[in-house]
Formats: sequence, structure tokens, C-alpha cells
Amino acid sequence: MRTVESSRWWEELSALAVDGFTYLDYLTAIDRGTHLDLVAHVVNPDTVEHLLVVAALPGDSAVVDSLVPLHAGANWHEREAAEMFGITFTGHPDPRRLLLRDESAAPPLRKSTPLPARVDTPWPGAATAGGDDAAGRRARRQLPPGVPAQWVAEGP
Amino acid sequence: MSHNDEIPAAAHGYIALTPAACTSCMLCVRECPSWCITLESHAVQTSEPGARRPTTVSVLDAFTIDFGLCMFCGICVEVCPFDALEWTPRFDYAASDRSGLVQAIDQLSGSGDQR
Ligand code: SF4
Ligand code: SF4
Repeated sequence: MRTVESSRWWEELSALAVDGFTYLDYLTAIDRGTHLDLVAHVVNPDTVEHLLVVAALPGDSAVVDSLVPLHAGANWHEREAAEMFGITFTGHPDPRRLLLRDESAAPPLRKSTPLPARVDTPWPGAATAGGDDAAGRRARRQLPPGVPAQWVAEGP
Repeated sequence: MSHNDEIPAAAHGYIALTPAACTSCMLCVRECPSWCITLESHAVQTSEPGARRPTTVSVLDAFTIDFGLCMFCGICVEVCPFDALEWTPRFDYAASDRSGLVQAIDQLSGSGDQR
């Protein structure tokens, strides 16, 4: 894995392509909570060496150079990462949405974007072992792991 | 026709429940990332001969797995401290409507109608 500055994303990937990493396997992002990690997996088809290249992007201004002029195959990957994570790829030749229809939808793979099903569905784990009146007391209220408390629907 | 002989015993086919081993601890329900397990239980007091105080135990009333939502990750099987859940190679539980994929104690434990 190689960590690079997001301002040098294009330069680093270009240099790697000159070094033989000419095949872009995939490009995606990960929401780390504090920032986004933009991830590209490149392969050298002659040596079958492969490398993960990672650049941190601030969540509130996630802007980076498009790799499409370098790797034509980055086109759909960047369109997907753009709509899923709210990243702007500067210089992308065709920055339309790829999978999502709703132009106004918040990027669904950002951890700050509520997932409607998790908001609407009462969590089955909220029930208490032994029933609500087990031994005449109610156990401490449990919350589903990994779901912000304000998203959780009240049980029936 | 059955191909059960050819499927490894631990294949992620179907999750079987042994109700007698389940203590209604809710761990599987809470850990399931798909929220597809439900459990209902009630508490009863039991007195063991010679014990100083009665103990409260949970009695399992209902347990369902919605195989329409389950992603066969196996987390429930892993977390169950009492080995009440286990993988079985069963695969033939297709249903003609959505509700048929919600399997209850009878089906999960193999004690009732397998369809
Ligand atoms: S296998 Fe995974 S998704 Fe299915 S019931 Fe178990 S924990 Fe839930
Ligand atoms: S984790 Fe095991 S013992 Fe606990 S409720 Fe689930 S099946 Fe029952």
C-alpha cells in the first residue's frame, strides 16, 4: 500500500503507469469518519505486481483530479465513487450519475447519510431477554451496534 | 432428488436452532447485521432443591429467522455461546411468498413441517 497526498494523486498514478502499473483494477473510497480514503488498485500486467494507492480527502471538500485521461477504465469507477461518497473528480469527461437516479440524494455510502431502512425498522435486539418485565425491572436499553442513536426507530 | 450427500456438512445452507440449548440471551439477535432474527421470551422463577433463593430463567417463546433478509454471514452461529445455532446443508426451503421465508422454531429445529 502506498499513501500519497491527494494533491499529487494524478502525478503519483502517472509515475506508476510509467513504471509499468498500466492497469487500473478498481477505484473506490472508504469513509473513515474523520476523512475519506480514496483507493486505487493498480496492476503491472507484465510482472503481475499490484499496489493499493491511498489518498486522504477531507469529507467536506472531497475534490481530486480525475484519472480518466490516464486510465480510461477509471470512468465508471469515478462516477460511482462520486455519487456514493460525494467526491468531485476534476476533469472527468462525463460526470453524470452512474447508478443513482435521484440527483439530490445524499451520498449513501457516507456514514453520515441515514439509511432509510435502519431508520424505519424497529431493531429486534431492543427486546429484553426474559421479556420486558423480567424480574420486575427493565434491563438497560440496548442500541444496535454501528447505528447512530438518533437513527434508531422506537420499538412498537 | 437430493444432493445433500455432496454438500459439505458445514455449508452455509440453512441455520438450524436447537431450542433446548437456547437461553434467550439475545446475542444473536443483537449481533445480526441484517436485523433478521427475532426472539420472544418470558421469565420464570425456578427453585432448585437446596438452593437458597429462586433463580430467574428465560423461557423461549418465539424465534424467527427471515431468510429473505439473511445474508448467510454466520455471525449468529459464531456468537451463540450455547451452540444453539448451527449451519446445516439444507437448501430446499424456497417459498411461494415472502412470508414463507420467515422460518419459526418448528422449521428451524426440524420438529415441524419442513416447508
Ligand atoms: S447468518 Fe448473518 S444475516 Fe443471517 S441470521 Fe445469522 S447473523 Fe443474521
Ligand atoms: S445466541 Fe444462542 S442462546 Fe443466545 S438467543 Fe441466540 S440462539 Fe439463543
